[in-house]
Amino acid sequence: MRGYLAIVRGAFMVGVVYRFGFLFTILGNIIYLGVAYYLWHSIYQNSETLHGLTFNETFLYVGLGSAVFILLKTYTDWFMNFEIREGIIAMYLTKPVDLGFYMLSVSFGALLMNMAAITLPTILLLVFVFKVQFAIGPGLFLFPISLLMAFMVSFHIDYFVGLLGFYSESVWGMSMTKEIIVTAFSGALIPLQFFPAAIEKILLILPFQTIYHTPLMMITKPNQGWEVFVPMLMIQAIWVIVLFVATRLFYNRAIKVLRVSGG
Amino acid sequence: MSLIHVKDLAKHFQILNRREGLGGAFRDLLSGNYRTIKAVDGISFDIEAGEIVGYIGPNGAGKSTTIKMMTGILKPSDGQIQINGLAPYQNRIHQAQIMGVVFGQRTQLWWDLPVIESFKILKEIYKVDQKTFDEHMGMFNELVNLKELFSQQVRTLSLGQRMLCDITASFLHNPQIVFLDEPTIGLDISVKAKMRTVIKELNQKRNTTIILTTHDLGDVEALCQRIIIIDKGKILYDGDIKRVNSLFGAYRTLKLQIGDYTDGTLQALKEKFEGQFGKVHNISVAATEEFWTDVTIDQAHTPLSDVLNFVMTNFQVSDVRIVEISMENVVRKVYDGALG
Repeated sequence: MRGYLAIVRGAFMVGVVYRFGFLFTILGNIIYLGVAYYLWHSIYQNSETLHGLTFNETFLYVGLGSAVFILLKTYTDWFMNFEIREGIIAMYLTKPVDLGFYMLSVSFGALLMNMAAITLPTILLLVFVFKVQFAIGPGLFLFPISLLMAFMVSFHIDYFVGLLGFYSESVWGMSMTKEIIVTAFSGALIPLQFFPAAIEKILLILPFQTIYHTPLMMITKPNQGWEVFVPMLMIQAIWVIVLFVATRLFYNRAIKVLRVSGG
Repeated sequence: MSLIHVKDLAKHFQILNRREGLGGAFRDLLSGNYRTIKAVDGISFDIEAGEIVGYIGPNGAGKSTTIKMMTGILKPSDGQIQINGLAPYQNRIHQAQIMGVVFGQRTQLWWDLPVIESFKILKEIYKVDQKTFDEHMGMFNELVNLKELFSQQVRTLSLGQRMLCDITASFLHNPQIVFLDEPTIGLDISVKAKMRTVIKELNQKRNTTIILTTHDLGDVEALCQRIIIIDKGKILYDGDIKRVNSLFGAYRTLKLQIGDYTDGTLQALKEKFEGQFGKVHNISVAATEEFWTDVTIDQAHTPLSDVLNFVMTNFQVSDVRIVEISMENVVRKVYDGALG
């Protein structure tokens, strides 16, 4: 456990080391928020609500959505693909660590880093610059739990694709496909309510929406009853468990076909 | 029971036969045309605690593949490996605790962080207590003066500095076995010498078993009592270095550039050598590149200085180079029955 905590700490530091990257991430996010503000402002010009969401709720959703999107993008599959191709993965395997927990620790360190660099500044901007109102309700307390589970889902999807790299030396195509599916079906691009009702129903039981839609609902519409939030959290929890077990099993198979380049 | 026991070990890879060109690349998408490469093909040896073993062979001989199997990264296709009686592949995490590994071409350090952070992370991963950690660091500071590198980012280190740090890292948890895969590749003479001192010192102080693969015969001569020569996945020689020493220790190639080189020069050179040193088999003369003539000498029979003197007085030599024998030559000599 101590070892993994040290890895989390290391991964967090990597983010801090590159100060300019850090600053530009914050700056880029400010620009994005500005653009999104005017875009949705003009969409809402003729109506108070669209698909049951007010401008305030939608902008909160989109603004925080981008922050959560960057926050939860672990890039684990891209890193693993690179490391497998370069044979760096061999270095991990000579250490007394579990590959899955190692990768999870690295991602978690990056998550904490992103939180400091992106999520907190975004919330401050939304409150103090764009004067967005946060509703108060039980959802706000569930948001951190939901976010943590969303991270677990996102990480395990990426890690699963990363493990495919043991089979094929290039997972570029698969990673791209995954990115598109996750972005479109998770509610990261547009709120799920904007999809046709039938499709929305299907999307709501898939794991992708548990990454963005679930935690964002907690914070944009927090004043709903437990009967709304509990099933949402349950679906998240189920997907965390299913994906965790699936990647464990898959790792045991994938490691058998591992080849490290060079002889 | 020896520390490392390897029996009939084999590793086969399936490689796709790729076709040429763009069209070929497309057809390869659906190709099932594989060929098998026997990277390691039935090797056996035993290594005792405290040995330094030189594991050598030309490129593609199967050295790294063997190391990767011993460290539990690759699964053997056939045969067995036991380290402390356990198979590394099945007990990877447990076995990793007693091993240290350096792959010369890669680093185990965190590329973006200052050096000391990597050591701290490894300290936690291997559960090394603070006292042992401080002692270890103190020892390395004495040997190679690492301290001034601590605050530097790994990616800004020179290759030599990085290798020293990597070796420090691999010994951090006081492992029973350390695998050094090409640790001196690309390093200059002074760093190489430092590296050898460190490795020798650790072996003597802590009785660490060291398995060293290298291309540099100088490393082997300086460090190992025992060598294993491998080529095309098979062991050619396993034993005391003294017997093999003559193969690479004593042989030197004298490269001569002779000023008034004509077609007859080579023949004249040969005849004059025979006249001076007798018809000995241990001097061979061959023309290689343009105007360069190679004379290979076995120093055990003929001192290099004698030959050099003789050449200088009898021929108009414009340039001389002395080359140590290469790994490929050693392997060829072993094939030719030099150890028979």
